[in-house]
Amino acid sequence: MRSGSLARQAWILARNDLRQESRDLELVLTAGFFSLVVLVMFGLSFSALDRHAQVLAIPGVLWLAVAFVGALTLTRIFDREREADTLRALLVAPVERQAIYLGKAAVTLLVLVGCNAILVPGLVFLFPAAAPMAERPLETLALVVLGCLAYTSVGTLFAAGLASSSGKNVLLSVILYPLTTPALLLAVVATRALLEGHPLFLTYLGQLAAIDVVTLALSVWLFESVLVGADASARRRSAAGPRR
Amino acid sequence: MTVPTHVLELRGISKRFGRLAVLRQVEFVLAPGEVLGLIGANGAGKTTLLSIVAGLLPPSEGERRYWGEPVTELRCEHRARMAIVSHTAQVYARLTARENLRLFDELRGTAGLASAQPDALLDRLGLGHARDRLAGTFSRGMLQRLALARALLGAPELLLLDEPFTALDRPGRALLADVLLEERSRGAAIFLSSHDFDAIAEVADRVLLLEGGRIVGQVARRDAADFRVALQRLAGHLPERDRMREGLRA
Repeated sequence: MRSGSLARQAWILARNDLRQESRDLELVLTAGFFSLVVLVMFGLSFSALDRHAQVLAIPGVLWLAVAFVGALTLTRIFDREREADTLRALLVAPVERQAIYLGKAAVTLLVLVGCNAILVPGLVFLFPAAAPMAERPLETLALVVLGCLAYTSVGTLFAAGLASSSGKNVLLSVILYPLTTPALLLAVVATRALLEGHPLFLTYLGQLAAIDVVTLALSVWLFESVLVGADASARRRSAAGPRR
Repeated sequence: MTVPTHVLELRGISKRFGRLAVLRQVEFVLAPGEVLGLIGANGAGKTTLLSIVAGLLPPSEGERRYWGEPVTELRCEHRARMAIVSHTAQVYARLTARENLRLFDELRGTAGLASAQPDALLDRLGLGHARDRLAGTFSRGMLQRLALARALLGAPELLLLDEPFTALDRPGRALLADVLLEERSRGAAIFLSSHDFDAIAEVADRVLLLEGGRIVGQVARRDAADFRVALQRLAGHLPERDRMREGLRA
């Protein structure tokens, strides 16, 4: 009953974000153009490399771009709630806190996977060594989704923690990169295994899925404390401020 | 099963932010169909008290009872029975008025049951003509009415309003007063803070004066021969600058 309500509310909130996004395309355009710029820059820099060097470079290019685009998206994912204080309207409404997390994480994941729809074909086009990504589309899709999910699940939690603050987005990057580095490194290793046709590719994919399950479960569990704690801190600052 | 006589009951509520005591031993009860007003100087703790009642802040000490049940943390079931209108509208600027209401209607899970309710509420709050306009294009008074319309979704049993008359023009204030009286006659319990002395005198059944985080006085309509005069006497406790700001004649 509760899980049904949770999924329904998460879907409603994600759909609400997508509806607003469709009106100004703020996230999509920023993330999309950034992906394109990163791709072109790396393409110009690394296209002259030999095939073996390309196999080493492509995973780094892909996941570095995901890390940058992800940070860019996460700093903005709660902007609509921050600018009109609508997060508090959600907090006092009969909405499961975890639904807010899942809705935001779903939108962030969608944006990141969308950017990969630019990045992956771009890499295949620019680098001959990236051809296995096109030849094994299902494995590539699984790798992209699982890698982005690991990044998103942690990132959304901390983006929520800073949602009630202003001008603290710099903190997000400081917190985010160290925490997501293990998952990103595993994604890099898995991508290289995919390009080389390494037999351990599926094992790496399984490990990435395990990281996803752990980070997602932890984030869902911690989200309410992070969100409500951050909002209470903001209220404490606003209550104490004028008296000082 | 006995029906609780109070929608809300606060016992010994205190709130400290570090070493700063914002509320001290606040106690009151709120019955169904009662409008309880809260007045006090700026910084008296009105918004903090409303935030604690709304579940946005935990008290440092004391007990909150909702519908007779002691509650340490408000759950979805509690929040489904109450609503808050803050002094900022807290609406999505990139959604239309109708979409804003539908969003919260759907989140409440009442959309299928009363699909016409958002439109009816917009009409009731005088926003019917602007239902398909983006909320970002609304004036502050219209945003305030939209926030009230959202709060009325699902016919809450407990309605909390923080400075609801702010930014409303005279017709808007009259409309809000009418709506609050209608909600009271429906049986909703209403707790509102306001600097608008005339408005609070019009709608409240009982008014509390909060000063330095303590409730230092109260006056009930049924106990006063002239409620407005009794309120002015009560408000005489307010510092001079606040009375002037509120347009009071001491």
